[in-house]
Amino acid sequence: MAAVFALDDVWTIRRSGDDHVHPLVGVTATIAPARVTALVGPSGSGKTTVLRLLNRLEEAHEGVVSFHGRPVTSYDVLELRRRVGLLGQVPTPFAGTVHDNLRAGRPDLAADEAVVLLARAGLGVEFLPRPADQLSGGEAQRMCLARSLAVGPEVLLLDEPTSALDPFAVSVVERTVRALADDGLTVVIVTHDLRQARRVADDIVVVHSGRALESGPVAQVLDDAADPVAREFLRGAS
Amino acid sequence: MTPSSLLAESAPTTAVPVPPVWGIVLTLLLVAVTAYVALRQRLGLARDLGIAVVRAAAQLVAVGFALRFLFEHTGLPGSLGWVAAMVVLAGRTAGGRAKPLPGAVRVATAAVGVAAALTVGLLVGAGVIEATPRVVVPIGGMVVSAAMTGATLTLARVRDEVTASRATVEARLALGLPSAAAFAPHLRLALRSAIAPSIDQTKVVGLITLPGAMTGLIIAGVSPVVAIRYQIIVMYMFLGAGTIAALVAGRLAGRALFDDAHRLLWLDPAR
Repeated sequence: MAAVFALDDVWTIRRSGDDHVHPLVGVTATIAPARVTALVGPSGSGKTTVLRLLNRLEEAHEGVVSFHGRPVTSYDVLELRRRVGLLGQVPTPFAGTVHDNLRAGRPDLAADEAVVLLARAGLGVEFLPRPADQLSGGEAQRMCLARSLAVGPEVLLLDEPTSALDPFAVSVVERTVRALADDGLTVVIVTHDLRQARRVADDIVVVHSGRALESGPVAQVLDDAADPVAREFLRGAS
Repeated sequence: MTPSSLLAESAPTTAVPVPPVWGIVLTLLLVAVTAYVALRQRLGLARDLGIAVVRAAAQLVAVGFALRFLFEHTGLPGSLGWVAAMVVLAGRTAGGRAKPLPGAVRVATAAVGVAAALTVGLLVGAGVIEATPRVVVPIGGMVVSAAMTGATLTLARVRDEVTASRATVEARLALGLPSAAAFAPHLRLALRSAIAPSIDQTKVVGLITLPGAMTGLIIAGVSPVVAIRYQIIVMYMFLGAGTIAALVAGRLAGRALFDDAHRLLWLDPAR
């Protein structure tokens, strides 16, 4: 099956004072369609940078990031971001009600559609008129998930979406992620929790020191990684 | 020519009662008493106070000579050049306070320049003020000062907003919103808090403080009822120039924060 995303020897650069740092130093990886791919690795390894490259919140300094076989730079960036949604680590409710939030990326969203989206994220209809800044952390993150889905993306990028949530909210988000992939959505999730990767992901990419060391089906990589550094990390993290 | 001879020479040329030179010495004594108290109380301000006193006097004497030269020899072009120099200085000052906002000095200079050109241009064009150096330079100075305050407050708030709300801005970008729309709610907050002080100042003018232009005219013997006319123009000019500068600075800073791919740039603290 053709990859949705392909990263070919991708380097990134970031200016810090008079110096330049390289979050990524030659990442090569692919993301398969209608599957959940987990990006795992230690803090600062470049997982989030990989994720942000996919909807062009970051730019590759060298190498090519392709979406459906074409460089991401060949797409209209706003159109690309509507097709490739992103949910950040920290909930980011906008001012206004939950309904206002769901309409942020799709102003014509009807109330009944909004209710369906909320249900998909594990929130009831009673949340629709509530001020978004009065939601709990878990509720706000689930609303943000529904807000990302409102635009109708074909890919959803999740950057440690459950790191600030209670166990109940974590299980709701994980169930939603699994259901979305089962419905044909491609999901890429950054996580440092290997048990979560095992629960929700089909594939896994181990990112370490700015490189993709190992990738493949979850069970194969987690149980039998070929790269010694990846094996060492996975053993320490599990 | 010494400063005292300059003051002594200027006094007879105007009907305005100008304080004698010993008046300056008397006020300096007041400052000396303050410095003595600051020293005794170990406030750590005596040195700064001394520097401020000497620097203010030196600056004003230099400006006095420069303005006299402008008024007598360079005419209107020289005066406009003086105002342009003030714009550049104000831009550097306002932009310097907004680091590490990208292009802060350029943005601030443009904002102050646009505000000064529009405000002074309107006043001169409509015949509200005379197009003479004696009027354009002080009015231009007041306008530039108001515009600098507007630009400074706006850029500082824009920087603080973008630093505190980076995740929210990027959440909007990730929904496919263009950068201007993604930053609009934050720009609105920045502009509101940058312009609000000028509005408050305008509301209480005359009640809490007697503003400078009015005070000057009253001292010069003009009826307070007539002096308010000038002051109203000055206040509206302040409000207008500050608001224009804030709006221009906000718009330009909003653009400078993003690249062509609608990506929010990282603010580099080392810049």
